[in-house]
Amino acid sequence: MKLQKTFSQKLILITLSLCLLSSCRAALAPEYDKAIVQNLTETTSKTLQFLASVSIGTNAETFSSRENKYNELIGEFEMLKLLARARPLPKNNVTQKINKILASKNGPTNTDDYPSAFAFNRIVQNLNKMKATDKKTGLNTTVVQAFKGEIVIFLDQAVTYESFLKR
Amino acid sequence: MNATTANLIDEIKKIVSAIIEKDITTVSGFSERQLEAISKQTLIIKGGIATGDIDDDLIDFFLEGLHAMTTNFVNTLKGILKVVLEKVWNAVISVLYQAIGILGFN
Repeated sequence: MKLQKTFSQKLILITLSLCLLSSCRAALAPEYDKAIVQNLTETTSKTLQFLASVSIGTNAETFSSRENKYNELIGEFEMLKLLARARPLPKNNVTQKINKILASKNGPTNTDDYPSAFAFNRIVQNLNKMKATDKKTGLNTTVVQAFKGEIVIFLDQAVTYESFLKR
Repeated sequence: MNATTANLIDEIKKIVSAIIEKDITTVSGFSERQLEAISKQTLIIKGGIATGDIDDDLIDFFLEGLHAMTTNFVNTLKGILKVVLEKVWNAVISVLYQAIGILGFN
């Protein structure tokens, strides 16, 4: 009985000590930002509509009719990237520890960026490259599929991460 | 182990299981979608290179894209894992505080 009581007391003592050391409430990820998710939902819809409109390929001669749409989408993803990166990264050792484990398995560890901000940046690169190629030669259906495939993968990563922050 | 300790452990187990079960479903769905999409993307690029639809200028760009999307897939999982860890930690601390008699914590 005495032993059990000592165990319970130790458990409480350890918990309190851990709390004091770690300020109790852990913050390992940034806060959910409703504005980012709302903007992202709208921009995703516009992007998918645009990709659908060019799915059968494009001709360089008609590029000027699409140029504004490219610029609009690039601007919106640049804004999302800024909003995502404007949040402070919570300071903790968890990322470094996970990176250490991944490094020991030769896994990717190369970024301290938010996954969503990284995704927005790569989507901007895709839209810029798509725009330049469209202007230069037009886009064949395979190239449109490849751009769409990559953009959709990054959209899924960004939407999943940003939505998951709501806890 | 006395009844109070057993109840406390049981309560912690329940709350941790509830968080993990719900979040693992989300993570599992995301992983399956991503792996399928990345595989399809690889085949599109392979096919495009073989037919010449994807020219030299775009090959490097799309190959770099495959690397970037795989890296960020892992980083997204890491980001999600951190949220799960945070939720578990805060839930356990909350249960322990309530057991001690402190309601709520900051």
